[in-house]
Amino acid sequence: MSTVLTQTPAETHTAPARQSWQAIFALARFESRKLLLRIPVLFMLAAYVAWIVWRTKSGWYGYPALQDVDRATQTGPLLVGFAVLLCVNQAVLRSQRHDTERLFGVLVLEPWRRTAAHALSILPVTGLVVLGVAAQFGWQAVKSTAVGNGSVGELLVGPLCVLLCGAIGLLMARLVPKPFAIPVAAVLLLVFSVLAPVSIGGGDATAWLTPIVGEGSSKTIPSDLIGRPAVSHALYLTGLALALALLAVLIGKGRTKTSTAVLAGSLAGAIALGVVGGVGQAAGVSSETVAARTVATLNPQKVQSCVRHGRSTYCAFPEWVPRTATWAEVTDHVQSLAGGTAQTRKLLVQQRVEARYGMEADGAIEPSTTPNQVTVRTMWGGPRTPEFSAAVASVLVLGNEKAGGDVCDGRMVTIMWLALGWTSDPVTELRAVRLSDTVTGSSMVLSPTNGMTMTAGQTSVVRELLAAGPSTVTPKVKAHWAELTAPKVTTAKVAQLLGVKAPGGADKCE
Amino acid sequence: MTTTVSAAGLSLRYGLTTALDDVSLRLTEGVTGLLGPNGAGKTTLLRVLATAVPADEGTFTVLGHDPRTPAGRQETRRVLGYLPQTPGFHPDFSAFDFVDYVAILKELTDRTARHNEVRRVLAEVDLSDVRGKRIKKLSGGMRQRVALAAALVGDPGFLVLDEPTVGLDPEQRMRFRELIARAGEGRTVLLSTHQTEDVAMLCHRVVVMAVGRVRFDGTPAELTARAAGRVWSSSERDPNAKAGWRTGLGVFRNVGDPPPGAELVEPTLEDGYLLTLDGMHAEATA
Repeated sequence: MSTVLTQTPAETHTAPARQSWQAIFALARFESRKLLLRIPVLFMLAAYVAWIVWRTKSGWYGYPALQDVDRATQTGPLLVGFAVLLCVNQAVLRSQRHDTERLFGVLVLEPWRRTAAHALSILPVTGLVVLGVAAQFGWQAVKSTAVGNGSVGELLVGPLCVLLCGAIGLLMARLVPKPFAIPVAAVLLLVFSVLAPVSIGGGDATAWLTPIVGEGSSKTIPSDLIGRPAVSHALYLTGLALALALLAVLIGKGRTKTSTAVLAGSLAGAIALGVVGGVGQAAGVSSETVAARTVATLNPQKVQSCVRHGRSTYCAFPEWVPRTATWAEVTDHVQSLAGGTAQTRKLLVQQRVEARYGMEADGAIEPSTTPNQVTVRTMWGGPRTPEFSAAVASVLVLGNEKAGGDVCDGRMVTIMWLALGWTSDPVTELRAVRLSDTVTGSSMVLSPTNGMTMTAGQTSVVRELLAAGPSTVTPKVKAHWAELTAPKVTTAKVAQLLGVKAPGGADKCE
Repeated sequence: MTTTVSAAGLSLRYGLTTALDDVSLRLTEGVTGLLGPNGAGKTTLLRVLATAVPADEGTFTVLGHDPRTPAGRQETRRVLGYLPQTPGFHPDFSAFDFVDYVAILKELTDRTARHNEVRRVLAEVDLSDVRGKRIKKLSGGMRQRVALAAALVGDPGFLVLDEPTVGLDPEQRMRFRELIARAGEGRTVLLSTHQTEDVAMLCHRVVVMAVGRVRFDGTPAELTARAAGRVWSSSERDPNAKAGWRTGLGVFRNVGDPPPGAELVEPTLEDGYLLTLDGMHAEATA
C-alpha cells in the first residue's frame, strides 16, 4: 500500500557551496592533531630528540665535517617513522574498527578524500622531523670548528623516510586491513631500510633501492669526492612515498571521473619521479669523481691550498683550510717541548686521504719518507689530536714518518713525551692514543699513517714523565736532546737522563 | 504542506529476500514515525533514503535532489542527517571531537563556524557539560545523544533516525523524545521505532511497514481509529480475540472482533498497529 498525502512539489534545498579541497585540508588538520597526540608518536618524538642530543654530543669530538653530519641525521627519524606507520594505519582503520563506517559512508566526504586527508596528516609530523634534522645539522654547522659541506639530498632522507612510513601505513590499511599487517610491515621495513643496506653496502646499486644507505667506511673525505647520489635518492624516495600514498588514495571509493583522472595522472607523475631518481642513483660514481679521487689520494698537492703558520707550512683540501690554524697550534706545542734544531725546524704538514674507494672501504695511508713532512688526516678532535701530535713528535725525533714504524728504542719515550707533555690531561691522552686504551703494558700507538710501538717499560717511563710535568721534564729534554734522540739509545738511558726510574730489562718490541 | 522527501516504487532484494517491495511515500516537515515488526524493511528503507545503499528499482528525491547521479547523491548527503541503528563511536575521541569529525565529513570547513556549530548541537542535546569527556566514559544514553548531535550537526533538512530510543531507560527515552520533537521543528524527520508510544507522542504521521511493503500511511489518529470498536475488556481472556492480555487492573484487554455486548474501551495507537499487522496476515492467509 502506498499513500499520497500531498501533491505539493518539493522545493530544492541546497546547502551552501563548499570546496572539496578545503574539507580535505580541514580533515587533514584534524587527523594530524590526533596523530601528533598519539602516545607512540609522542614517545618516539621524545626518543628522537634524545637521540639527536646523544648523537650530537657524542659525535665528531667537537670538530664535525658536515659531509658526515648530514648522513648522521638519517637513522633517527626511523623511530618516528615506525610510530607514524602504526598510527596512520590505525587512524585509517579506525572507522572500520569502531563500526562508524555505516554513518561516515553516507557523509559528504568520500573515502578517497578521507584517505587523501590521512596522507596529508603525515606532513606536520614530517615537518617536526625536518626541524629535528635542521637542529641536528645546524647544531654542528654553527660550530666554528665545523668544516665541509652538507648535502640537501642527504638531509632530506630522514624526513622522507617518515613520509614513506606513513604512506606504507596508509596503503597497508587499504590493501590489508588486518591488525597483523602492521607489525609484519614494520619488521620488513626495518630489514629493508636498516639491516639490508649495511650488509649490501653503498657501492652496490641495489642498496640504493632501500631508504637509508649506509657506508662501509667511517672515514671522512672531501665532499666533492663522496660520489653518493644523494639528490637522486631523495627524488627516488619522494617518488616512492608519493606513489604509495596516491595509490592508497586511488583505492579509496567514491571517486568521480575527474578525480580519478587527476589521481591517476599524479600517480604517473610520482612513479616517473621515482624512476628518474632510481635511474640517477643507479648510475654509479662518475668518471670525473673517480679521477678526482685518484688525484686527491696520490697527488693531493694538486688540489690543496697551502698556508703558512709560523715556521711551518700546512697544505689542506680547500674545505679544511680553516682548520690549519688548529693543526699549527699542536705543532707549535710539540716543538716547544723539543730541543736542538727540532724546536725551530720547518715542517710541511700535509693533509692526506685514501679516497680511491670512496666511502666503501677504509684504506691505509703509507707513511711519508720525505724529511720533515707530517701527515694529517681529515678527522680531528678526540684521539685524532694526540695521534697527529705523535706524528709531529716522531718526525721531529726521527726525521720522517716512515721511521716511526721501526723505532723500538728509548727515542719512543721522547716521542711520546713531546706528543703528550703539553696537553692538559696527558694521561687521558695517552690512553686515547694507544690502541689498547690502557696506560700500562705494551701497546700500539696510533698515528695518521703507520702506528708505533711502546713497550711496557717505555710506557712506565712516559707515565712517570707525564706525572712530573713540563716544568720538571722540559729543561732536561732540551739539555739532553742529542742523547735522547740518538739512534739505539736505551729506554733505561733515557729514564736516567730525565731523572725517572729506569725499567728493568732491555728494549724489546714485538 | 510541502513535500520534502518523496519516494516512488522503491524495491530492493538481497538474494531471494525482498527487503523493499514497491515502496512509495511522501514526507513533509515534522516527525514521521515508521513502525513495523523486525524484518519489515524499515532499516533498509532508511538506508536507501540515507543513500547508504541504492535501490534496485524506483526513485526518490530529498529536498529536490535526486541521488541517482553522483552529484545528486552528494547534494542529498549535504542535506542529510543520519543516526544509524546501534551507531559506532570512536571511544578515545571526546564528544566534541567526534561531532567535530562528523562536521568535517559534512564539509563544514570553516574552523570557527564549525566549532560554534558543534557547540550548538551539543547544547541542543544537553551534552555541553561533558563535551570534553571521552566517549568511552559516557553512559549509553549520553552516547546516543552524541550520535543525535552528530546527525544534527550542519542543520540538515532531512533527518533519518533508526530506532534511536532502543536500549534507553524510561527517563532517557523521555529526554530523547523531547530532543526529537525539537529536531522536527522546521525539518523533515523520519523516525523508525518499535515504540508505538514514541509515535503517539512525537509524530504527525505514521507509516507502518511489513514484509517490505507500506501497510499504512496516515496520521496517528487515523491508525488509532482503525481499532475503534475493536477493543474490549473482560474478566477472562476472550479466545476469539486477535490479541489479549491481563492489565494491571486485573481485567483482560482484548483486541479483535468483539462479541455482542462486549464492554468496549478506548483504543490506542498500539491497538491500531496490531490490527493493521493482523489485517496484513489475514490478507496473506486469504
